[in-house]
Amino acid sequence: MVAKDTALRTRDRVAKTVLYVVLVLGLLAVAGPFVWMALSSVKPEREIREVPPTWWPETFTLDNFRELFSRLDFPLYFFNSALVATLVTAGNLLFCSLVGYALAKLRYPGKRVLFLAVLGMLMVPGMVTFVPQFVLVSNMGLTNTYTGLILPFLVGPFGVFLMRQFLQSIPDDLIEAARVDGAGEFRIFWRVVLPLCRPALATLGILTFLGSWNNFLWPLVVATTEDKYTLPVALALYSVGQNRTDYGLLLSGAVVVVLPVLIVFLALQRHFLRGIATTGIK
Amino acid sequence: MRSRRLAAAAGVVLAASVALAGCGRDSGGGQEEAKSVGAGKASGDITVWAMGSEGEKLAEFAKEFSTANPDAKVSVTAVPWDAAHQKIASAIAAKQTPDVSMIGTTWQGEFAKTGALDPTPSDLIKKDEFFPGAWDTTIVDSTSYGVPWYVETRLIYYRKDLAAKAGFPDGPKTWDDLKAMAKGMKEKAGAKWGLNLQPGKTGSWQSVLPFAWSNGADVASADKLSFDTPEMTEALAYYQSFFTEGLSPTALPDGSLEPGFVKGEIGAFISGPWHMGIVEEQGGAGFKDKYAVAQMPTKKSSTSFIGGSNLAVFKDAKNRDGGWKFVQWLSKPEVQVKWYQAVKDLPAVQSAWTDPALTGDTFLAAFGQQLKSAKAPPSIPTWEQIAAAFDLEVEKLCKQNADASATAKAIQEKASAIGTGS
Amino acid sequence: MAGAPAATAPARPAGATSPVRPAGSVRRRQRLRRALTGWAFSAPFTVLFVVFMALPVMASLVMSFTDLRSTDLRNPLAVNVVGIDNYIRLFSDDLFLRSSVNTLVFVVVGVPLTMVLALAAATALNSGLVRFRALFRVGFYLPVVTSIVAIAVVWRFLLDPEIGLVNNLLRLVGIDGPSWLFDSRLALPSLIVMAAWRNFGFLMVIFLAGLQAVPADLYEAATLDGATRWQQFRNVTLPMLRPTLLFGGVVTGIGYLQLFEEPFVMTQGGPLSSTLSVSFHIYNQFGFGNYGYAAAASYVLFLAIVALSVVQFRLLGERN
Repeated sequence: MVAKDTALRTRDRVAKTVLYVVLVLGLLAVAGPFVWMALSSVKPEREIREVPPTWWPETFTLDNFRELFSRLDFPLYFFNSALVATLVTAGNLLFCSLVGYALAKLRYPGKRVLFLAVLGMLMVPGMVTFVPQFVLVSNMGLTNTYTGLILPFLVGPFGVFLMRQFLQSIPDDLIEAARVDGAGEFRIFWRVVLPLCRPALATLGILTFLGSWNNFLWPLVVATTEDKYTLPVALALYSVGQNRTDYGLLLSGAVVVVLPVLIVFLALQRHFLRGIATTGIK
Repeated sequence: MRSRRLAAAAGVVLAASVALAGCGRDSGGGQEEAKSVGAGKASGDITVWAMGSEGEKLAEFAKEFSTANPDAKVSVTAVPWDAAHQKIASAIAAKQTPDVSMIGTTWQGEFAKTGALDPTPSDLIKKDEFFPGAWDTTIVDSTSYGVPWYVETRLIYYRKDLAAKAGFPDGPKTWDDLKAMAKGMKEKAGAKWGLNLQPGKTGSWQSVLPFAWSNGADVASADKLSFDTPEMTEALAYYQSFFTEGLSPTALPDGSLEPGFVKGEIGAFISGPWHMGIVEEQGGAGFKDKYAVAQMPTKKSSTSFIGGSNLAVFKDAKNRDGGWKFVQWLSKPEVQVKWYQAVKDLPAVQSAWTDPALTGDTFLAAFGQQLKSAKAPPSIPTWEQIAAAFDLEVEKLCKQNADASATAKAIQEKASAIGTGS
Repeated sequence: MAGAPAATAPARPAGATSPVRPAGSVRRRQRLRRALTGWAFSAPFTVLFVVFMALPVMASLVMSFTDLRSTDLRNPLAVNVVGIDNYIRLFSDDLFLRSSVNTLVFVVVGVPLTMVLALAAATALNSGLVRFRALFRVGFYLPVVTSIVAIAVVWRFLLDPEIGLVNNLLRLVGIDGPSWLFDSRLALPSLIVMAAWRNFGFLMVIFLAGLQAVPADLYEAATLDGATRWQQFRNVTLPMLRPTLLFGGVVTGIGYLQLFEEPFVMTQGGPLSSTLSVSFHIYNQFGFGNYGYAAAASYVLFLAIVALSVVQFRLLGERN
C-alpha cells in the first residue's frame, strides 16, 4: 500500500511539474505580443521598425506618449469613449435582462418569434447592415450626436441570448412564491431575480464594454466633427497615414486604449467566471 | 395562427415588390456643365474634411484664408485614412456631405459617378496650371470634378555605393541599365537583392504600370480597356525577369525593406517621396549621402505613376461658392509652396516648383521632373476592382512564373468582365 | 402571469388550493394581462431592435436582389431588380468559391483545435495540481485585448523564415523550416494556429466554469471503481460537459465563419488567395462598391452560419 502511495505521489509530482512548465510556456506565448506592445511603446520609431524586433528597449524614450498627449486632445476623446461605452453597457444590462426575463419566465404571444428573430440577428454578418443603418440614423437627424453614437447599440441580440439562458436556470418556485406574495412582475424582476444574476450581468457588462470601447467604424462615420470622435478613431487619425504608419504613436495609443479595458476586466473577472458557467450548462 | 403568419409574410413580400417595381435605372448621364462661381470674397461657414496629417495641419493653415476673407470661417474635420473611403461613401448615401473634401485620386471616378460631386468651374480653376497627369485624375465623363491638391510619383531609390560597384555611379537610365545594375549589385557589391519589386498583392499595379506606360502601352481609358497588347506583354515579361533571375525577392517579410536597404542587403526599390523621410530616419545621420533617386528607366519613354489627393466640392454643399473659393486659394502657387513647407506634400501646381524651397533639393527636383510626364489610370468607378484583378494576375506572374502573354490576356478578360462602370 | 389560482379576484393570496377553473372572462383577462406584461418587458428592446436592426437587415436583404453599386448611393431606388442573379453569380465567382473553401477548412480544423487547446488548459487549471490560477486566467485572456498590430508584428517575426523563432527551433533539430506566411500551402494552417492561439483563452474560461460545475462525488465514485484519470475524463467529465461544449462550439464556429482580422492584417488574403476568407471577400466587394453583390454574399454566409449551428446542435445537443 505504502509503495503504491509513494509511486502515486511521485507520478503526481512529475505531472505537476510538466503541467507547470507547459502552462508557463503557454503563458509566455500568449502574453508575448502584449508585453512587446507595452515595451515598444517606449522605443523610438527607428527601433520599433528594426528587424529582427528588439525586446527590451535599447533606447528608452517617452517621446511617443508625449507626442500622443500633445497632439491628441486626450481628455475629450477619453470622455467620449467613456460616456458612450458606459451608457451602452448600462443600456444592454437593463434592457437585455428585461427581455431575457420575459423570454425565460413569462408567457405571452409572439415570444417565440421574438426569440428566433434575436437568434437570427446574431448570425447576420455585421458588414451588410452598416450602410442602411447609417442612412437610417442620419435620416433621423442623429449624425454627429451622442445619441447617434449610443442609441443603435443600446441593446444587442447577444446580450438577450446570454441573459435568457442564464435566467432560465433561476428556479421557478422562487418566482412563484414572490407572485403569490402579491408582488408585481417588475418588482419580482428587480428585487428577486436580478440580484441572483450578478455573474451573468458581470459577464455581459465586460463583453459589452469591451466591444463598445473598441468600436471604430461606426463612431468614425457618424461623427462629422472631431469633438465627437472616440479614442480609437482619434488614435487612427494620428498614427496611420496614406503611405506610412507612425508605429510609435500607434503602439503608445494601443497601450493607452487597452488600460481602461484591462482595469474593468480585472475588476469583474471573478464574476465573469461563474457567469459563463451557468449559461453554458442549461 | 399559421395562416395569419403566412398572410403577414405575403403582405411583406407584396409591399417589397411594389416598392421594387418602382425601381429601375435610367441610362442617362454624360457631360455635365460646370456652373460658375461668383466673384468676390468668400463668406459663411466652409466645412472641410481632410485625412491624416493634412487634416491635422489644415485647420491652422486655413487661418490665413480667413484673414484674406474675413467673412468666411473654415472648419476642418480631420478624418483617419483607415476607412475614410467608407466614411465619404456613407456620407454621400445619407446626403450628409461637407462642403469640401479631400479625396484620393483613385476614388475620384467612383464618387463622381454618384453624382455627388460638383463639376469644377473653369472660370475659377485653370487646368493648365497643374501637372497633366494630376489633372487627368479629376476627369470623369469628360468633365472635371475636382482639383489636384498634392501629388506624388514613384522613382527608383538606389544605393549609390552599391551602384558604383555595379558600374552605374549615376544610376540606371534605361531598362537594360536597371537590369544590369541589379545584377551587378548582387554579384559585385554583395547585395542579397538587386531591386525590390512588389510581387503582386495590393498596389503592385502602381509598380507595374509605369513599366507598361514606359513601353508605350495604352492601358485603359474611360471607354476602353486594353491590357492585352504586345507592349504590356513585354513590360510584364521584363518585370517577371527580375524574379526569375533571382534579382527580386518573392517573399520579403513586411517591414524588412527599410532596414534591408540601410544595411545594403537590398540595392534598390521603387517608391514615392514619403520614403525619403523613413529611409533617412532608419539610416541615421549621414545616410542621405548613401542613396539617390533615379527617374523610371527609359524604354520608349520614362513614365511613372502619379498619385496624391484631389479636392472636391459636393453638390449638396451648403456653401458651394465658399468651398470653391477655398479650393482656389489652396491652388495658388504661393499657398502650395507654403503647404509644402508645412506638411512636405509635393505641390500639384507646376509653377510652384520654381520656388527655391523645392529647387534646392536634388531629390525633390528629380520628383518634379518625373511628375511632368507621369500618368494615372483612368478615373473609372471600377478601377479599384480591376486593379485588384490585375494584382492577382501579377502575383501569379511573379510567384508561379505564369506566361506573360497569358497573364496579359487573363487581365484583359477579367477587366472586361468587370467593365468600366459607365 | 399575474394570476393566482383563485377564481374571482386575481392576486388574491393563495388560500384556496382546490383547482377551481376560473371563468372564461377571467381567463381572457389573465391572458391579456400576461401578454401586456410580457410585451411591456420586451418593449424597449423590441423597439430598438426593430428600428436599428431588423429594418437595416430588411433593407440590405432587398439590396441583395438588386444591382446596387456605390455610384447609386444618392438614388438607391433607381436600380435594377435582378432577382437572384447576384446569388447565382456568386457560384461562378472563382474568388468566392476559393474563399469558401478556405473558410470551410479554417472552421473544420480551427474549431476543434481551439476547443482541444481550451479544454486541455481548463482541465489542467482545474486539476488542483496548479496554483496561481488567477494569473493564468488573466494571462490567457491577453490576446483578446492586445492590439492586432502588436500581434501581427510578433507573429510575423515568429514565422520569419530566417530569423523567426519557429524556424530557429526547427533548425536545432535539423529541419530547414519553410517560409510559413509566403507559402500558399502553409499560410492558411499558420493562420489557423494563430487564431487558435488568440481565441482559446476565452473558450478556456467557459470550459473551466463548466468543469467546476461537475459534482465531485461523481469523480469519487469513479475512483472507488478503480477508473484511471483518463477513463474518468472520458466517462464522467466529457458527458457532463456536453452543454458547455455545445455553447463553446457554436460561439467559436460563428466567429470563425466570419474570419476577417487575421488574414486582413497578416497576409491580405494571399499568397495567391490561399488565405482569402469569405468575410474578407465581402469586405473587398463592399470596398469596390458592389453593394448588391456583397449583400448577397453576406446572406449566403448567414445561411452557412445557420447551417453550422444547426449541425452542432444535432451533434452536441441534449440527448434526452
